[in-house]
Amino acid sequence: MKTVLIACGAGIATSTVVNNAVEELAKENNIKVDLKQVKISEVGAYADSADLLVTTAMTQKEFDFPVINARNFLTGIGIEDTKAQILEELKK
Amino acid sequence: MQGFLDFIQGFLDLGATVILPVAIFLLGLFFGQKPGKAFRSGLTIGVAFVGIFLVIDLLVNNLGPAAQGMVERLGVSLNVIDVGWPATSSIAWASAVAPFIIPLGLVVNVVMLLTKTTKTMNVDIWNFWHYTFMAAMIYAISGSIIQGLIGAILFQIVALKVADWTAPMMSKFYDLPGVSIATGSTISYAPGIFLVKGIQKIPGIRNWNADPDSIQKRFGIFGESIFIGLFLGAAIGALAGYGAGEIIEIGMAMAAVMVLMPRMVKILMEGLMPVSESAREWLNKKFGDKDIYIGLDAAVALGHPAVISTALILVPITVLMAVILPGNALLPFGDLATIPFIVAFIVGAARGNIVHSVIAGAIMIAISLYIATDVAPIFTEMAISADLELPEGSTQVSSIDQGGNIVNWIIFKVFSLFN
Repeated sequence: MKTVLIACGAGIATSTVVNNAVEELAKENNIKVDLKQVKISEVGAYADSADLLVTTAMTQKEFDFPVINARNFLTGIGIEDTKAQILEELKK
Repeated sequence: MQGFLDFIQGFLDLGATVILPVAIFLLGLFFGQKPGKAFRSGLTIGVAFVGIFLVIDLLVNNLGPAAQGMVERLGVSLNVIDVGWPATSSIAWASAVAPFIIPLGLVVNVVMLLTKTTKTMNVDIWNFWHYTFMAAMIYAISGSIIQGLIGAILFQIVALKVADWTAPMMSKFYDLPGVSIATGSTISYAPGIFLVKGIQKIPGIRNWNADPDSIQKRFGIFGESIFIGLFLGAAIGALAGYGAGEIIEIGMAMAAVMVLMPRMVKILMEGLMPVSESAREWLNKKFGDKDIYIGLDAAVALGHPAVISTALILVPITVLMAVILPGNALLPFGDLATIPFIVAFIVGAARGNIVHSVIAGAIMIAISLYIATDVAPIFTEMAISADLELPEGSTQVSSIDQGGNIVNWIIFKVFSLFN
């Protein structure tokens, strides 16, 4: 099972939008995921166990796992592209 | 007619956990959701309120007596507890004026777009809670829903104007093309942009900078809410003269508040999301192809290393300022986790210079501490009318984010003149 970090500024508002979207996406495709909703400043504390970071915040740090920017979930434009990108990583 | 008015008044008297859920149910139906889904959203919000108020109880009933103890032993009078923005937003949504804010906010934004008085289409419906708080505060002093709504409109206009004005700077520094930030927590600190420009003219200081990586290593612990809760809770317990066992207990309780509060607000967010998504789609359909900025939550700027570093350093500085600034009564707690939102504009204006950002940020937060102290009586009154039980004694509540919001305060003061 993949561990996916969902991060935003406070780990409350925008990450909830993304969290629910990723949860649904995984369910639709019968993929089991372990979602962890965190603050962007807490990502480091979970870095050891994570397979993917999906975030509405920006990050310039290098991680050992791929990082997908989920800003499209907020604007409502290009959501499908971002979903496809996330799905591809989940299936790996 | 009288019967109808009585019915409305009776409904408004039901309070927080009923009004907004019903409003969200109706709004959901209006946006064409199935009744079952709309009902679920409304119910979820009611549940979230129950959860949030449980956690606020945990916060004030532990921290309140300890703060009192600290006052008595040391004469440090910090008897206004900073409940943080999650609780503040809930108190706002619990007000009788709340149901009007989402439709009103959409209308105001659309009118401003059509009249070209703003370029920002704010799809960040969740952060309408700042307008709600403004309205709730004026409603609390005036008893007039109309006055409250006028206050909310004024706040929204300022927010959109600041978003327009800062968009070029933000998109350049944070690489956010076509995006503007209208989040109430952030726009209040726009004056910090001028401070930064002033600081960058001072000989000597203008050349100072710091390295974000080493700061994140050294101060990283201030970025994790659970540790802030533990340490701050234990420290306050110790200052209040508690015994060792009690110190551990209050530290644990405060760590719990820091972890549980966001979880509870997440439920509120889930309840609001279907309506917020419908509203966003509706706005996109109307204006999506125009040359405008999309207004997003300040969260999109917050991962920048300079923002994280600046915020980390400002956590201990904020606590220190609260203790030493004469006349401040706010005990910073919940919103220590909100400092990244406070400095988003400032760091952008400083082009990532951490030293300059910290200086400007500290000055702005100091102003917020005083404002939050000033509004504490009315804030406390609002919390009580949201059915929050405060411990005996003179404990009050307020918050840095929105309680300490400059725009909110100025509009509030203007309305206070007339009421």
